[in-house]
Amino acid sequence: MNKAYNPVWARNSALQAAAYRWNRRGLLPLPQLQAIREAYPLDYYRPNIYLRILLFLLTVLGYVAAGGIIAVSAYELLQSTLSSSDTAIIGLIALLAAVAGQLVLRQIITSSRTYHAGSDQALLYLSLSFAGGALYCFMLVLLPPSADLFALTSPYLALWLLPVLALLLWATARFGDALVAALAYMVALLLLANALLQFGVGRLMLPFAVMALAAVLYRLVRYLATRTDYWYYRTCFITLEVLALATFYLGGNYLVVREDNAAIGGLPVSTQIPFAPVFYVLTALVPLFYLYYGLRRHRRTWLLTGLVALAFSGYTLRFYHSVLPPAVASALLGAFLIGLMAAALRYLRTPRHGLTAAPADDSGGRPGLNLEALIVAQTAHAPQAPEPGLQFGGGQSGGGGAQGQY
Amino acid sequence: MRADLFITELRDRGLLTPEQATAIETDEQARPFSLHYEIRTLLYLGITLLSGGLGVLIYEHLDDIGHGVVVAVVALLMAACFAYAARHRQPFSWGLVSGTSLLADYLLLLGCLLFLVLEGYLQAQYELFGTRYGLAVALPAALFFYLAYRFDHRGVLSMAITALAGWVGLIVEPLAVFKNEFLTGSVSRAAIGLGALLLLAGWLSEIRHRKAHFAYTYLLLGGNLLLGAATAAMFTEVLRPLALLVLLILAVSAGLFWYGRRAHSHLFLLLGAAYGYVALTYGLAQLFSAMGLDTVLTLGLYYFIGSTVAAVWFLTHLKRLAGTDAHEQGL
Repeated sequence: MNKAYNPVWARNSALQAAAYRWNRRGLLPLPQLQAIREAYPLDYYRPNIYLRILLFLLTVLGYVAAGGIIAVSAYELLQSTLSSSDTAIIGLIALLAAVAGQLVLRQIITSSRTYHAGSDQALLYLSLSFAGGALYCFMLVLLPPSADLFALTSPYLALWLLPVLALLLWATARFGDALVAALAYMVALLLLANALLQFGVGRLMLPFAVMALAAVLYRLVRYLATRTDYWYYRTCFITLEVLALATFYLGGNYLVVREDNAAIGGLPVSTQIPFAPVFYVLTALVPLFYLYYGLRRHRRTWLLTGLVALAFSGYTLRFYHSVLPPAVASALLGAFLIGLMAAALRYLRTPRHGLTAAPADDSGGRPGLNLEALIVAQTAHAPQAPEPGLQFGGGQSGGGGAQGQY
Repeated sequence: MRADLFITELRDRGLLTPEQATAIETDEQARPFSLHYEIRTLLYLGITLLSGGLGVLIYEHLDDIGHGVVVAVVALLMAACFAYAARHRQPFSWGLVSGTSLLADYLLLLGCLLFLVLEGYLQAQYELFGTRYGLAVALPAALFFYLAYRFDHRGVLSMAITALAGWVGLIVEPLAVFKNEFLTGSVSRAAIGLGALLLLAGWLSEIRHRKAHFAYTYLLLGGNLLLGAATAAMFTEVLRPLALLVLLILAVSAGLFWYGRRAHSHLFLLLGAAYGYVALTYGLAQLFSAMGLDTVLTLGLYYFIGSTVAAVWFLTHLKRLAGTDAHEQGL
């Protein structure tokens, strides 16, 4: 799959981040860090967050304004030349806008070397939305007018969702954008629900099918992470992993299953669901398993998802049973949390099971700013590579063999 | 794991010595998994839930037999928190005290929150301070300032500053709360005065090295108090003359901007720029409209184009202005 951005950018920035971490942990002297920075330069454009937001907004504004102006004249032109329906013409214009957006996007990536810099993201999201809209218009033309595309149970919905999913998968593979990846997964979930709701027993199967899909996605992410360019798709993998864990939990959550069951069936008040004990057990145990696994295997995604899931399980319990008055429950829970954390701090005073309560790297006070490092960097020179024949980034004046002791 | 590939590659290119590569590899594998931020978040959540729950509980059971129990529990917990913090205290120093226990920090905060709960209860039930509300607000302010300095705690310091601001507001305009009239001339003047005092306190603590790390809290709260009150007063026209007010805001914004550059802080740069921009725009608009309608339209247009360009320039050069750019490039 050809990638829109230079894959070296993602890799170099990951490498530099690792080098910074080693430096903060005192394993890598500053001159060597400097040399690594020069050997693996970050030659893409990504400004600070405020400017990225500004660029995003300005690009959206410009895209929509330019698209709107052109669309009005194109609409009149097409209407006079083609004799097809309005919907088809609007679809055609949306398709043109999407293609134009993609062309501009390709152009700014090659000319300005933007890499998730706000403007390229705006173009990507908008052009994908236009393409999705175009597909929707074409679907409307092709289908009988009585077909209701937007009901979850409609048999025609899949006809629209399938090409959209293909489009999103293509965009994910090409741009490595986390939001697009998450959207693709959402579309896949919709497709699954749509397919199952065509059958009577489908509603019964839906929670288990969602959990199965989440499990498949998780396996797929783990597989792809080793087989593809991990650094290029890193944010996608992390997002999808969290989403897989979250949907696996929500698929088995009693509250979600019961209320959604009522919503799909059109019931005003939710009633008891079949297999209720299974969902009680899943609601209680899945978060605990996430926490256990996260702590055992040192996986932060599992740990944090598990904490949020546990909170949601508590909410589920209180939704159907008012166990204690809110004030008492809040005070008791607070006391319990403080007690538990005090115990954890005491237990982890010396690291155990590879866990510690100390911060990850001892950067000493302010992260991101180390004045001593700044002064050293301005006076020190990068050491030369000891091995001859390998050259990188000219201009080092430091003598050979200056590496190491510091 | 994946860093192994980097280490191998860097070693092969000669950017790491073999010993370093081995050391880093061992560290990557042996480095414990840090639960620091998770523990902090949960501790904070626990403190909020506990003090919030007890705060509601104490009023719910006001006429109950159980309320004595709740009061006793709150008092005991507060005493226990302060006792724990006192037992784990470090010797006092004017610098940043390192090595304080995480739990003691949070329990001190909990103790302060429970103190507020208990004081509010005693006032509501027994009218401990009668109608001398000033005293009821001044007492926690004084206590919190003492605790913040003694235990080197910035969270308690911001609680102390908040209590102080409440006290000052109460002193100047005791009936404003009941009249639903918050923004009067005297309140604005008091807020500007207190903000200036806090800015001075922050500045002095930095240059005199008396808890220099407290400067951030003082300057942030003081700067926001002063500039917010002055900007609000400028719009509602409760203070006169306008020109003086605009000049004051501009001067203080410039001061914050300068401090932001000095302390390499994006936050102070942005604060200074935002308040300064609002005041400048309002001041110029008033000036133009005094000249007549035509000038407003023409000059206003140029002004907005110019200020947009300036805003983009400012955001683009934020890192260079703050001096963090050189740090990132140079490191």
